[in-house]
Amino acid sequence: MSEGVATGMEWDGAVREGLKGKYRVGILALLGGVCIGLEIGVHLFLRTAVGYTHIFYVLLVLSALWYYRRALLVAGGLVVATFATSLVVGDLSWATFLRAAMFLVVTWVVGVISEERDRAKAEVEAQKEAVEKKHFALVGYISEAALRLKNPLEVLRDNLVSIRSQLDNSPDIGELKIMLSVQVTHLEQVLENFRALNKEIVEEREEIPQAYREFLTR
Amino acid sequence: MMPFDLARLGEDRLFLVLSAAERLKQNNIGIIRTLTGQGYRVVVITTNQPSAVLRRLYTAEGIELSKVFFIDAITKYAMGRVPEGEVQCRFVNSPSNLTDLGIAITEVLNTLSGEKACLLFDSISTMLIYIPSTHISKFIHFITSKLRLVDASGIFLAVEKGLDPLLLTQLTTYVDGVIDMDSHAAAPPQKEGGQEGEGPRQSSPVL
Repeated sequence: MSEGVATGMEWDGAVREGLKGKYRVGILALLGGVCIGLEIGVHLFLRTAVGYTHIFYVLLVLSALWYYRRALLVAGGLVVATFATSLVVGDLSWATFLRAAMFLVVTWVVGVISEERDRAKAEVEAQKEAVEKKHFALVGYISEAALRLKNPLEVLRDNLVSIRSQLDNSPDIGELKIMLSVQVTHLEQVLENFRALNKEIVEEREEIPQAYREFLTR
Repeated sequence: MMPFDLARLGEDRLFLVLSAAERLKQNNIGIIRTLTGQGYRVVVITTNQPSAVLRRLYTAEGIELSKVFFIDAITKYAMGRVPEGEVQCRFVNSPSNLTDLGIAITEVLNTLSGEKACLLFDSISTMLIYIPSTHISKFIHFITSKLRLVDASGIFLAVEKGLDPLLLTQLTTYVDGVIDMDSHAAAPPQKEGGQEGEGPRQSSPVL
């Protein structure tokens, strides 16, 4: 897959994220409506500021979980709504300020913690992905090396068996020399492939001690 | 020696032929004998046995050498020089020199245009010593495309069970069929009149 072209899985993930984003906005809008409705219905008309603001925290916590510190905008909106109704009702007091401060503090704390948690999670995912990529690359290399070692050795073995059988029947020495030279050339390349495999493994695995690194790549 | 079943060579042109390592040489001879017997001009690309050795083997088996042309990618690399007196043969510096090998194949196929020609690649397994499987795959794709363009046949020899699944899948998509030359050894014996077990098994392009 070339760079810049989304794979099926990436596309699927993007669609799912888009839908998730829409649902989240919808849920927050609904909760926001409920909160404003409570502010108007309970505080403005019933003239009481007790109890209903607990519902606000559902909106604030969800906003902070999903949108981190940007949820402070939602908290700010609720603070403005609370102050406005308190001014109209005439019950503005230290309790109103405390409530408003709690909206902002809770939102900020949840937002910061969520952001940090998701950042750490993304970091772990990225590390895991990098390790998996390396692992697959190594498995691929080992598979390739097996392909380029095992089969050729079988062919070489059978070539040598053929040469040995020729020795029993008045062989052409010149031809045997050519055949043996070919087998030596094949073997040299097989050895070179083997060295390349060792080198790749040594470079891949940092935990291999230096002495073994030198031995394996000699 | 097992005859190579050419029944499908008219309708299908390109085959991947799988052989046990110890029978690779015998199967090579069997295929050449069958092809020359059918009037094909055969181009043998060899990376395993030097052309001089193959020539001697073919002569010993009574194969008509005038119908066989060699592209030898191993002799010069192993010996450092080209033997004198080699006719109907082109030498390539190294099995890993795919550019020269490609040029040699193209030129030889051009000289055979209009004739009943078949290319025998011996073998993919030996080529794997010198080049990575991804390059092999691309190169075989190049050759098969070239063969289809010039309307020639092609047979690619490989050691059975020696190709990894990915490479085998890629190669089977380039050819028209896969023939397991040694499957008859494992097949149950036929009591009478049956075809099974008497010849190589031919399968659809995807195994």
